[in-house]
Amino acid sequence: MRARSSQALKVVAIAPPAPRRDLSGIVRVLTCGSVDDGKSTLIGRLLWDASDLFDDQREALRRSDKRVLNGEHLDYSLLVDGLIAEREQGITIDIAWRTFDTADRRFVIIDSPGHEQYTRNMASGASQADVAVMLIDARAGIKRQTRRHAAILDLFGVRHVVLAINKMDLADWSEAKFRSIEKDFEALKKRFGFVDTAVIPVSAVTGDNIARQSERMRWYRGPSLLDYLSQIPEKAAPKAGAFRMPVQTVLRDGQDFRGLAGTISSGVITVGDRIVDAVGKTEARVKRIATMDGDLPSARRGQAIALVLDRDIDVSRGAVLSAPNAAATAARRIEGSLVWVSEQPFDPGARYLLRTATDLVPVSHLGIRSLLDLETLERTSAPSCAMNDIAVVAIDLVRPTSLDVFTATQETGAFLLVDAISGATVAGGVVAALHATSLTDARATGATIFTLTRALLNHGLCADLAGKSDADAELRRRGDEVVTLLKSAGVTARLDID
Amino acid sequence: MTAPLSHLDLLEAESIHIFREAAAQFRKPVLMYSIGKDSTVLLHLARKAFWPAKPPFPLLHVDTTWKFHDMITFRDATVAEHGLDLIVHTNESGIKRGINPIDHSPSIYTDVMKTQALKQALDAHGFDAAFGGARRDEEASRAKERVFSFRTADHRWEPRAQRPEMWRLFNGRLGSGETARVFPLSNWTEKDVWRYIAREKLAVVPLYFAAVRPTIERNGQLLVVDDHRLHPRAGEHIVERRVRFRTLGCYPLTAAVASNAATVEDVVTETLSAKTSERIGRLIDHDQSGAMEKKKQEGYF
Repeated sequence: MRARSSQALKVVAIAPPAPRRDLSGIVRVLTCGSVDDGKSTLIGRLLWDASDLFDDQREALRRSDKRVLNGEHLDYSLLVDGLIAEREQGITIDIAWRTFDTADRRFVIIDSPGHEQYTRNMASGASQADVAVMLIDARAGIKRQTRRHAAILDLFGVRHVVLAINKMDLADWSEAKFRSIEKDFEALKKRFGFVDTAVIPVSAVTGDNIARQSERMRWYRGPSLLDYLSQIPEKAAPKAGAFRMPVQTVLRDGQDFRGLAGTISSGVITVGDRIVDAVGKTEARVKRIATMDGDLPSARRGQAIALVLDRDIDVSRGAVLSAPNAAATAARRIEGSLVWVSEQPFDPGARYLLRTATDLVPVSHLGIRSLLDLETLERTSAPSCAMNDIAVVAIDLVRPTSLDVFTATQETGAFLLVDAISGATVAGGVVAALHATSLTDARATGATIFTLTRALLNHGLCADLAGKSDADAELRRRGDEVVTLLKSAGVTARLDID
Repeated sequence: MTAPLSHLDLLEAESIHIFREAAAQFRKPVLMYSIGKDSTVLLHLARKAFWPAKPPFPLLHVDTTWKFHDMITFRDATVAEHGLDLIVHTNESGIKRGINPIDHSPSIYTDVMKTQALKQALDAHGFDAAFGGARRDEEASRAKERVFSFRTADHRWEPRAQRPEMWRLFNGRLGSGETARVFPLSNWTEKDVWRYIAREKLAVVPLYFAAVRPTIERNGQLLVVDDHRLHPRAGEHIVERRVRFRTLGCYPLTAAVASNAATVEDVVTETLSAKTSERIGRLIDHDQSGAMEKKKQEGYF
């Protein structure tokens, strides 16, 4: 048995890539599929065949695998399944990150569980991914689960999708089987906004069409899985897109330096460009793009910088700096979709906070309108939602914050909902439409609205902040907390400090 | 600015983003500084994140009193060079009880002198977040760790109750009694750390470079005799060998590797073509199956 096993290994082992110092970029690959579709084996196989796995990791697998599959193949899933509980249950319970390098590219595999009750993990994996690999069993074809997965990928912004039809070895390497599933997928994908898709017949156990072309399926002329992944353009690639930089913090060095620090989430900025803060409606020009390694003439999506402006505008953490001709929206009301990730279902009496790229704003009203059936894509009117539901919602905020529509500008068009008491993330969502006024304001006409102004705060609660750095951010934070507390006491309150 | 960003550029930017986000969201963060190569990169990224200001948090070193002497020298020089605040904490009750890595098992020693010591320091100073240099590529249970990772009031990690992390939105709001661990190097690999040290020309502890050192062979591993507290056992002899370290910790628990890599460039070349992962030199991980996950649930970093 041992001799046979090492012989099989020799056949599949591919020479490791020559090490390079700088890889051309990072591509994040989400893998999704049901427990029995062989996902962990597929990832393990990719690592085994295509990556710079260490010898001790290979040796540990050879030693730990007492159940040699099919008499000749290692259980590659053992390279992937990390947590003790998972090893004992034989399932994948949480998202795991695996890094591997080919000759010129860094891949990050985001391994997400396939159980229906783990929709939330798949959605959070999708939010991080450049490309998704949907894995199905050739003998089972496209199932309800596959449709759900495709819907989640589409909703949370994955634009490149591979359907990997696995276990072709157990389906007699049948072209007819492949063509029939391919046809089902063509019909399915019409419902979604994917930019690019591929359907690949594979066997994770034997390695066919994983890192090398299959010799047993010569009827398939497309790329192997690794070939396909190697040509995906990464999200961080330079792209047309309006400039956006959420301000994380204000950096100061004596009187001479005031830098708005953040990571560019979209577009490009060049010294001399104008920027605007959508909420404060103030404009300025970029005087310097500062980093510890020296000033830059321009910077783009993905770079962490500090912008020094030509004049001192009232901008701090929470603001989004935009290109003036295509600015973010100062929104008081959001319409969008979210995935509920908390074990605690939606509670109309709870206090929620909206977290955007860098802002945290109390929600004055969270209205669940309907639930999305991921299989039929139909909406069913519903007043509430629970874990793993995809809900269509309307969110009113106590003060405006800068946001975008998700399909146009992903990073500034996404949000989290946070439970104000426990701090837990209860939902993650995407913006479909934005409004400058809140419905809560209109509804509340006639009722007493307590307005917390800057003067009121400075008088007492924030008296100690005078002259301190980031006083404005702290004032805003304290104001938000007071509004949240008043709301929980049943008093309608809002913050007006702009 | 037409050249694409390399993977190191992207990793650097991501880490800076995480530092800035955590510093803005937490009330009183601290940087866990363990003096090794990962801490060196971590500190460098923290300096970049807040430049031209200094990082708005102190450094914390949990000193077991068994670190290599070169590490302490390097620590003090680094802190002085950049004008940083350093807190050094030792579990004095562990010292009084005589807990040491030679007479006690790695799991008992690590629990008392590292895990308990860390909890003491975090509680004593009221830190609500601690930056650490852990990477997802280090070990299987680390691969599931979040960037913002939460701990219960008694510092336990609950892998089943982790908050989902979506897009680049980090939720640092703490529940009652909770604290956070923040891992800016989550997506880095050992190879990236060395590539970055070479690219940024960072100074590291000289133990990472090959030199002739007094060693003894024990259980198939090479230990460097860093001071008089490590005695050869019957049949063991102190032998001068050319060795270096891939990872640094308490010297009786950290195995050296035979190597001729004497410069950063040599080490990068050696690391890029390495055949074994770095944790093979850390004796605590070999103690029991699932060792790291168990330690983390008990509050190990």
